[in-house]
Amino acid sequence: MATGTERQGTDRAAFGGVSRLRGVVFRYVTFAASLFGILSLAVLLGYVFWDAFGLETAAPAWYATMVVTVVLPVAGFLLYARRNPLAGRTALELAATATGGVLSGFALVVVLEVIAGPGLWFAYFLAMGVPLGALYLYGRRVEASWTGLAVLGVLVAGPVVGTALLGPLSRIGGFLGGPGVYYLSVIAPTALVARHVVDEYLDGPNGNYVALATLVAPILAAPAIDTVAVLSRSVWLLFFPTLVVPFSIVAGRNLATPGRRVGVAGPLAFALGVGLLAVVPDLLGVAGPSPWFDWQYVTSAPSQTAEQAGLYPAIIGSIFMIVLVALLTLVLGVGAALYLEEYAPSSGPAGAVTQFIRINISNLAGVPSVVYGILGLAVFANTLQFGFGTVATAAFTLSLLILPIVIISAREAIRSVPDSLREASYGMGATRWQTIKNVIMPRAIPGILTGTILALGRAIGETAPLIMIGVATTKFSPPSGLFGKMTAMPMQVFTWSSYPSEAFQHGVVAAGVVTLLVVLLTMNSVAILLRNEFERGDY
Amino acid sequence: MARNEDTMADGESNAGTDERLITTDVTAGLDEESTATTDSSRTVIDARNVDFYYDDVQALDDVSLSIPEGEVTAMIGPSGCGKSTFLRCINRMNDLIDIARFEGELRLRGKDVYDDDVDPVALRRRVGMVFQEPNPFPKSIYDNVAYGRRIQGMDENMDEAVEQALRRAALWDEVSDQLDKSGLDLSGGQQQRLCIARAIAVDPEVILMDEPASALDPIATSKIEDLIEELATEYTVVIVTHNMQQAARISDKTAVFLTGGELVEFGDTDRIFQDPDSDRVEDYITGKFG
Repeated sequence: MATGTERQGTDRAAFGGVSRLRGVVFRYVTFAASLFGILSLAVLLGYVFWDAFGLETAAPAWYATMVVTVVLPVAGFLLYARRNPLAGRTALELAATATGGVLSGFALVVVLEVIAGPGLWFAYFLAMGVPLGALYLYGRRVEASWTGLAVLGVLVAGPVVGTALLGPLSRIGGFLGGPGVYYLSVIAPTALVARHVVDEYLDGPNGNYVALATLVAPILAAPAIDTVAVLSRSVWLLFFPTLVVPFSIVAGRNLATPGRRVGVAGPLAFALGVGLLAVVPDLLGVAGPSPWFDWQYVTSAPSQTAEQAGLYPAIIGSIFMIVLVALLTLVLGVGAALYLEEYAPSSGPAGAVTQFIRINISNLAGVPSVVYGILGLAVFANTLQFGFGTVATAAFTLSLLILPIVIISAREAIRSVPDSLREASYGMGATRWQTIKNVIMPRAIPGILTGTILALGRAIGETAPLIMIGVATTKFSPPSGLFGKMTAMPMQVFTWSSYPSEAFQHGVVAAGVVTLLVVLLTMNSVAILLRNEFERGDY
Repeated sequence: MARNEDTMADGESNAGTDERLITTDVTAGLDEESTATTDSSRTVIDARNVDFYYDDVQALDDVSLSIPEGEVTAMIGPSGCGKSTFLRCINRMNDLIDIARFEGELRLRGKDVYDDDVDPVALRRRVGMVFQEPNPFPKSIYDNVAYGRRIQGMDENMDEAVEQALRRAALWDEVSDQLDKSGLDLSGGQQQRLCIARAIAVDPEVILMDEPASALDPIATSKIEDLIEELATEYTVVIVTHNMQQAARISDKTAVFLTGGELVEFGDTDRIFQDPDSDRVEDYITGKFG
């Protein structure tokens, strides 16, 4: 025993120690680098938010009220949710439904009410939406082989018919008026969808009642809506299907499930707290914050007086443009990446050409954005006559700018699909197209979306190429259409930053930055949701 | 695709005209020929003077053999001897490699699979394949088995077809209540049987297996081996393995490839393992060479 212990002791001494000094130093250096980045960003954001919400005017009593009405109840609920995860999930579900509903409702208002207008929307709804819906309903009841072809036919013929008959069709829309158009084209389909969803996926109320409620509620609520100044009937009808109906269904289902009922308390407490915060300080005569970033700011046009200045035309312009950019780059970028990875020859003389193209796409990703501005000016604005400073010119120019990034990331995503899966599919006798559709794309889509999000984030913040193609720095109305003149958020914010007044430099600009961030984060969260949906594995 | 045409031209110029007459015009002649070289069973795959190159490197050197129907044919040999390459020639999986080049003749039921009018996709629908690493799709078990039938447009009676394939792959009892689960959630051995079920769901004529048990533990391996013997009652199975005991256990015929892509000996498994003609084969089997 004694000798054993002794030997053990000598052995240990013989091994000695291994110095980890360099490793430890390196570890803390990397930690310091991360901390520096995160802290600088936090300070910057804090500074911007402080200005944008005018927090310096709020009295200490207001902050005290906020802590009591909002922070404490929410913190309490979060603590409780740690012990009751089901309640936490319920609260998260409700919060996500509400946030998603507000944002998608806003998007719907922008697209239908602002950009298209009820007349134009209704014309295309009659020409395409109605036949497609009828075909879908018919196809669900009857197994018919021609419905697929018919859908294709409607997709091709619909726009043609809609454009040809635009005059008479939009006159119908004009006769019905905005609310009438939306009731027929948005609320009625929503009722059908809600009935289907409730019957198919939820065991609870009868779908017919839900559909009936969806049809009746907007009419019953109309008088009450008219008393709210900022909500027109049209806007209310567009928010109804995105916010009110899903939220009611989700809330109703959670209230009906015993274990989840308590989870509703969280969002409820938050909503009540915010409501109290809006009312109580006023009653007590306590000064609250005077935010620059508010409803008036996002809904009104720019102005020479800081208090009346708004970002509305730029918000619409940026969103309109970025939607087009997203569509263009996804189609072109993913198409190019698929060709380069799956079809293009990789050996012989043709392979050398492929290699040359691949390398040069990587080079294009590094070209300064001003250069793309000149290209856009020459090609889209001048040669193709899209016009100076129009949505089309801006969207095509920015698409060119981010296309290399999208192609590179899509190629990476496609290449990361294991070859063993390709072999499995080809070995089963799948064609290349079947393999791409069933095996490669489903696996690659999350990666493709990640790359596209980053690229779109770059596009929405660009100013240099927009200046080159003659985009206005300030505009007082949103773009009238694809070939209408536009302005973008960063352009407008930059213009304001050169105004001499303190209120513009510190208040209006900060609010613009916050708006830009909100739009960017919304865009990213939509893409992340989509990515998670695809990443779940079963497709 | 230009590559395949090159291959075709080479193949035609190299193939002996006499053999061509025998094998295409007189199917009976084919049978007689195979009777001479193998037993009385019918030949399904008939390779004549197959050479195969990756760029300049020769992977197969003048390989000729006849694989009989309804039996298990094993291909053994050291790493890099070309046995997998030969297997992948049969369903033209090597077409997917840009630099690959095929010369010679390889007939499936008398039809040269490297002929101009043979569509490799249609060929692979008749010749199923199971790979070394289990590679189920990241889809549900059901969708994995249904994949082949769906891409071929065989949509009717899908539930029965899936059940039958899983039963024949000896997997049904383990997964019947979790068909919605991802195929990747199964164990390695189960995944490989799922891949076999996926291959037999479309009723191929031949099943090629490229070292199907080399990534599995002994118990999973023995299940796969039992399954292969079971499958041989209905299908022609060609299996590549580097495990000589496995070849001896499950195969009826054995082909021994040695370095340089040369087929050294081909014949009944019992004879190959007990009394090989070639000294090199004897050395390899007894472990003096590897």
